[in-house]
Amino acid sequence: MVISGTKLAQELGTNRSEVWRLAQQLRGLGVDIVGRPATGYQLRTVPDLLLPDMVAPQVAGTIFSKHIHHYYRIGSTNAAGMEAAAAGAPEGSVFLAEEQLAGRGRGANQWQSARSAGIYCSVVLRPPWPPSDALIVSLAAGLAVQAAVREIDPRLEPDLKWPNDLLIKGKKFCGILTEMNAEATRVRHLVVGIGINVNQRSFPVDLQEIATSLRLESGTEWSRVELCAGLLKSLDREYRSLLEASGARQSILRRFEENSTMVRGKTVTVEDNGGLEGVTNGLDERGFLKLETSSGPRIVLSGTVRLKT
Amino acid sequence: MNQKEIKELIEFLIEKDIAEFELERGDVKMRIKRGCYAAPVHEVQTVPASGAAAAPVVAAVPPRAPKPAAEENLHLVRSPIVGTYYESPTPGAPPFVKPGDVVEMGQVICIVEAMKLMNEIESDAAGEIVKMLVKNGQPIEYNQELFAVRVRA
Repeated sequence: MVISGTKLAQELGTNRSEVWRLAQQLRGLGVDIVGRPATGYQLRTVPDLLLPDMVAPQVAGTIFSKHIHHYYRIGSTNAAGMEAAAAGAPEGSVFLAEEQLAGRGRGANQWQSARSAGIYCSVVLRPPWPPSDALIVSLAAGLAVQAAVREIDPRLEPDLKWPNDLLIKGKKFCGILTEMNAEATRVRHLVVGIGINVNQRSFPVDLQEIATSLRLESGTEWSRVELCAGLLKSLDREYRSLLEASGARQSILRRFEENSTMVRGKTVTVEDNGGLEGVTNGLDERGFLKLETSSGPRIVLSGTVRLKT
Repeated sequence: MNQKEIKELIEFLIEKDIAEFELERGDVKMRIKRGCYAAPVHEVQTVPASGAAAAPVVAAVPPRAPKPAAEENLHLVRSPIVGTYYESPTPGAPPFVKPGDVVEMGQVICIVEAMKLMNEIESDAAGEIVKMLVKNGQPIEYNQELFAVRVRA
């Protein structure tokens, strides 16, 4: 559909040169607008940007619909979320970025955050729990991503790696890092940061063996807006059931075990704690990974778990 | 008996100021003894205790922290969560605090991580860090003592 500059100007309550200026500005942001001489403007494709106006209507009715913040470029959405939460940002605040310059990972790891190829999303939660009860959110977030991906492409088989990495055919496409600020008996705020490789067509040589994207695995381009909305909806579902439903914790533990091939009967190594090795034996009631080692049963609290090859 | 129940039991004992408690039920045998300075000690025998101090073990007995001198007005900052103790925001970065540093109430003094959840631990007292009671990378039990702070008069 081609719309004349005069009509656009009328509807916007401005003049034609201002319409031209706005169109230029939108083009600069990646919007595909064609200008047709003597006829008008045509919007060829809507850009797949994680703009609040695009995401919010799709997550109406969730705790995430009211306070979505979008950045074209940011240091880290988690850092922004923690800062805003400390300053009083309400529960359900969402921080989305097209590009992260210092995406946080566990320890010294960084998250590669190429521009508009992935989803870099942090959300603020304020559960009325003691801090030790909040650990379950780590597992719930992984399940939420897995569900959102499956909903869009049921052919993909995203696998959960404890505590919450997501892999396809052994390569990682999603990482989750949660940061918490708590008093001794009560959580003040939690910021759950989720990085998903969506439309990357390739990775640097040093990552090719361990990283992948949804596009590489499915062969098609994904709508990041659709996936982001799906993710927020399934996060909302998990979080609300934790707040409201009895048995939600047990459900998360059970579903995690059902949806992770690595959590039972696999020989793994744990990087931390001086290099532990053993056979996985499910999760304990807190969500920690149980391991049978040559020197008896152990519980893994943290650290990178790797399948032994 | 799970961790949460044990926690509740310990809290109950503290609340009622009960010094010693013993329980035997099925394969669970528990003895809790509260001292003046030592952390509540609990032993659960469902999992064989491990010899290696650095290994993550369920219900490991918190090491009896070196008892800070009693004459001083020392406050012990404890961990509200089970996990791995980190003294700095990222490996290689300078630690949040070191002995001799003066901290404010609410200042972040370390991180305890479990399951990729990084918990910022704040000092719940203002004063001088006298002693760090745990080592970087060490597994931490619930309520374990992390720092001794000489409370500002």
